[in-house]
Amino acid sequence: MRTLLAGVGLGLLALGCQRDQVAHYRVPRENQGAPGSPRPTAPPQPMGERTGMPGGASDVPPPPTPSAKAALKWSLPKGWSETPGEGMRFATFKAPYGGKFEATVVVLPGPAGGELANVNRWRGQIGLPPLDEPGLAKSRTALKTRAGALNIYDFTSEGKVKSRMVAGYISTPDGNTWFLKLTGDAGPVTKAKSDFTHLLESLHLD
Amino acid sequence: MIKPLALQTWKFLKSIQFTIVLLALLMALVLLCTLAQVEMGTAGAVNAYMRSFIVWRQFTGLPFPLPVFPGAALVGLFLTINLVAKTLDIPRTLAKSGLLLVHVGLVVLFAGEFVAGMMQVDTNMSIEVGQTVNYVQSYKNFELAVIDVTDPTWDEVYSIPDTALSRGGAIAIPGTPLTVNVKKYFANAELSNLPAGQTSPATAGIGPGVLVVEQPTVTAESEMNQASAFVEPTAGGRSYGVWLASAAIGAPQAFTHEGHTYQLAMRLRRFYLPYAFTLKQFRHDVYPGTDIPKNFSSLVQVVNPSQKENREVLIYMNQPLRYEGKTFYQASFGKNDTLSVLSVVENPGWLLPYVSCVLVSIGLLVHFAIVLRRSLKRRQDKKEA
Repeated sequence: MRTLLAGVGLGLLALGCQRDQVAHYRVPRENQGAPGSPRPTAPPQPMGERTGMPGGASDVPPPPTPSAKAALKWSLPKGWSETPGEGMRFATFKAPYGGKFEATVVVLPGPAGGELANVNRWRGQIGLPPLDEPGLAKSRTALKTRAGALNIYDFTSEGKVKSRMVAGYISTPDGNTWFLKLTGDAGPVTKAKSDFTHLLESLHLD
Repeated sequence: MIKPLALQTWKFLKSIQFTIVLLALLMALVLLCTLAQVEMGTAGAVNAYMRSFIVWRQFTGLPFPLPVFPGAALVGLFLTINLVAKTLDIPRTLAKSGLLLVHVGLVVLFAGEFVAGMMQVDTNMSIEVGQTVNYVQSYKNFELAVIDVTDPTWDEVYSIPDTALSRGGAIAIPGTPLTVNVKKYFANAELSNLPAGQTSPATAGIGPGVLVVEQPTVTAESEMNQASAFVEPTAGGRSYGVWLASAAIGAPQAFTHEGHTYQLAMRLRRFYLPYAFTLKQFRHDVYPGTDIPKNFSSLVQVVNPSQKENREVLIYMNQPLRYEGKTFYQASFGKNDTLSVLSVVENPGWLLPYVSCVLVSIGLLVHFAIVLRRSLKRRQDKKEA
């Protein structure tokens, strides 16, 4: 009996140690941005309850400080106000609508990991699976602004309480990448989308 | 002196009063655990109340948590002792064989829950239609993946689990010249722009411009920890700088040592499998005219070269696939019904509840047959008398 207990104890100990060790796998190359590439994902929800949460401000690498000349500018829709960003945000907008949503501007240095990686990270934030390059192209809406070509994405999550994200992605001549995002519960985001689109259309550099 | 005390203790351990106290404690734990799920999420509450020996609580103003209630593991352990003690008391006669079987069945059931609590691993597998996946992914645990991406067709993935990262220090990566020095690990952190005048421990990658602020860990299903770490890879006596690896940073960062390019990525822990699943079809049927789900099913092609196996399997609700020690349940879906999420459970003791059910059922039948026979005999005797 003692031997049995000692055996069980050693077995559990070995199992515990094994879980702590560096594991090695040789796996076929994954496509960057394809499903399963390195990225944080929200855990799947039970059937019928897949909700997803809008992402916070802490989801991106650090922004550079854009020079006044290269900084992106916009016209605020009626009733909207703007506060300088905290943390990694360049700015936060306040819209005259109720509900759980937010509109933010984030600026990152260089390509910031690329459009596909960023779009897939946003999708992960509302519980959606990643896209591949053709999928990315399909979900992109191009808009010409005075600041240059802007790509707009509009995603809505699954589930009873849907989350929605409308995001504009634009690169400025100084090499920075700007993200303008409207995220939150699908209802209020839908209400604010028209204003937000006007804001995106108004983007300029000077 | 000692013998009477031991006898007294043994008598108490097998008493019905002790059983009632333990059952009452279990009921209280079920209630407390249910209420705690609001704040802690299902997994967090189950771990804190059901799979622990003591329920701890952190009071404000105290630097350490205090024990506030016995955990269900402790109550279950005493209940098992109580049951075993009672079972040992049952006379080994044919007349009591049914009762004995019922008690043994219950002991097996309790043992099954202990095995599940200590050894069960819960992961998930997300597959899109047409996609082939050969790994399962943890819900909450992270890993620092050091990936040698030099070969154009294969990735050499070295996974350092969060449990090893949390201990800190130097971690040698077997099979490579690399050692990863973990400077600081955050189970959950918020990243923000580094304010002017402050410096970061990071010297390479995007880390030098990022401020990392530790946050309390979250356990609710809808929330994710943002595991982060400052790590310094070294090889051949050379340091490649201090990098910030974080689940909040989507794009992987890389450095090159002697022609080998290594990516660093903090991500949910993956367990690669010696077989792969390809999702051939996902069905989401609803009752006609409504949005009420009638059926979810995933048709997967299981390819296992080591077993020379290549077959189709249909996984649907309440009809999981049990394969190579893992159970794949249909759990979720997405992307306009083109993505299927399978919940994957690995529990070495999965058979024990079934064994228990069989034992208890046979025991009850045997006991019923014995009692019926006795009753009929009594009636017969009465008639004859």
